[in-house]
Amino acid sequence: MDIDDILREVDPTFHAVPQEKRDLQDLTRAWVAERSAPELLPWPANGLFERINDAIKRQIEKVEEMTGDMDPKTNFALIVIQTELERYRYLVRSFLRARLAKIDRHALHYLSTDALRARLSDVELAYATRHQALLHNHYLSSFLSAFPANLQNLNDTAGGMSMIDAPDLETAVFIRLLKDTVVAGRGVDSDADVDGRESDIMILRWSDAKPLVEAGSAELV
Amino acid sequence: MALPLPPGLTHAEVAFLAEMELVTVVPRQRLESIDLLAGKTPPLRPPHRADLPLWLALLLKKQRRANIVPPPWLHPSSLSALIHRETKEHPTAFSDPPPPPARADPSRPGIAHRQDAYNNSTDTPLSAPFRPSCTADAPAGYLPYHWQEVAEALLAHAGDDVAAAAASSSSSSSSSSAVGEVRGLLRDLVEVRAAKMRSSTAALEGFGGGLMSLRGVGALELAESRAFVLAVVDGVRKIGASVEAARREEEEEAREEEDEGPAGRGESDEEMGI
Repeated sequence: MDIDDILREVDPTFHAVPQEKRDLQDLTRAWVAERSAPELLPWPANGLFERINDAIKRQIEKVEEMTGDMDPKTNFALIVIQTELERYRYLVRSFLRARLAKIDRHALHYLSTDALRARLSDVELAYATRHQALLHNHYLSSFLSAFPANLQNLNDTAGGMSMIDAPDLETAVFIRLLKDTVVAGRGVDSDADVDGRESDIMILRWSDAKPLVEAGSAELV
Repeated sequence: MALPLPPGLTHAEVAFLAEMELVTVVPRQRLESIDLLAGKTPPLRPPHRADLPLWLALLLKKQRRANIVPPPWLHPSSLSALIHRETKEHPTAFSDPPPPPARADPSRPGIAHRQDAYNNSTDTPLSAPFRPSCTADAPAGYLPYHWQEVAEALLAHAGDDVAAAAASSSSSSSSSSAVGEVRGLLRDLVEVRAAKMRSSTAALEGFGGGLMSLRGVGALELAESRAFVLAVVDGVRKIGASVEAARREEEEEAREEEDEGPAGRGESDEEMGI
């Protein structure tokens, strides 16, 4: 720890962003990104989701305790707490549903390599594996079993054609820059390098935006 | 279907996000701090102002527990200045987004710092709706990212507060006409900017550069034209895919030739050495 850090800690004018607010910002950002990106994004790191889920659980317990006493004063606080709880739950639910929709669409693609598997959480991985197995068994029992054995796979890549459907990574997205940085975009007629300023909003291909988003210098909007 | 929505935020989702914007309220009753998931709310003690998220401020307003202080950019004078800027000074571009909040550095008097800039690299950078761009301290003359949604919500649910703030300077107008004035100005602004959004599609037609900046655009304006804009960009890319592949191949060859130049010479040197 630096002397500056110690000074900053005791400095009352220093406004660090509290953990709860940072988590909400991260959750919101993850949700917007998942809703806008054409492919599945990595599961949020550093325990963001576990923290949020624990907080929601604790808050529900508190609501259950508070509904016990019918004091009109705590009643209004209860309404506020429940309203906020619903807002959080909506965010979490919509985030998970957006991910599930993408996993459903390209299940085989996300199960195909270890790097792609690492993007799924444990539960999502279990879901995708089981769902894919059920689906394949169903196809086998209804019509695939009538085919020759070498044509019964769903992930055939022979003959230069892959059966595995992948999301289109060149789809255009909107991003907002979080700091001044150079933005490189590939186009049909020419490629461009632009000096982007903080809070610029740009349209470019997801494959070009991805490194910026991963480095934290831009966010999807 | 897990989620039957197209990619990109819909109007309802944008409105949901806008409800997280901080606004300033003047409480009319005491209310103790409430322990919320996003942190404790400030205790409300009339007549001290406090910053609260919009959804909570609207709830308090509906129960007549607080009045909302409309952000300075919603004042008629700020709106007409913005319309002037959008139509006369920058007839093609959107006006700039609000500058990031700054704060004086107590250790070095006279020097200001961006408040939520990268103080330390582990800090999450804040962006709309978590920047205080709709509070009473927000600068006038800049439209924040969620301007249209916040303005609409305030006019619908806290029209009297907007009117009071608007009428305080131009004492002649009554409260209902002040709301009408703000509404009229907002509509003008929406139309001016919608025309710009439409004309930007002309630039999309020649979207060959791979990048287009829409600095200063609002969330709702983006949501409105997102599907169309993205479809055009993707369409242009698919039509021009073969042209692009050919151009890339040419560039690759040119680069290889450049690379081969000195390398080839190196080989010949070796041969000569042998």
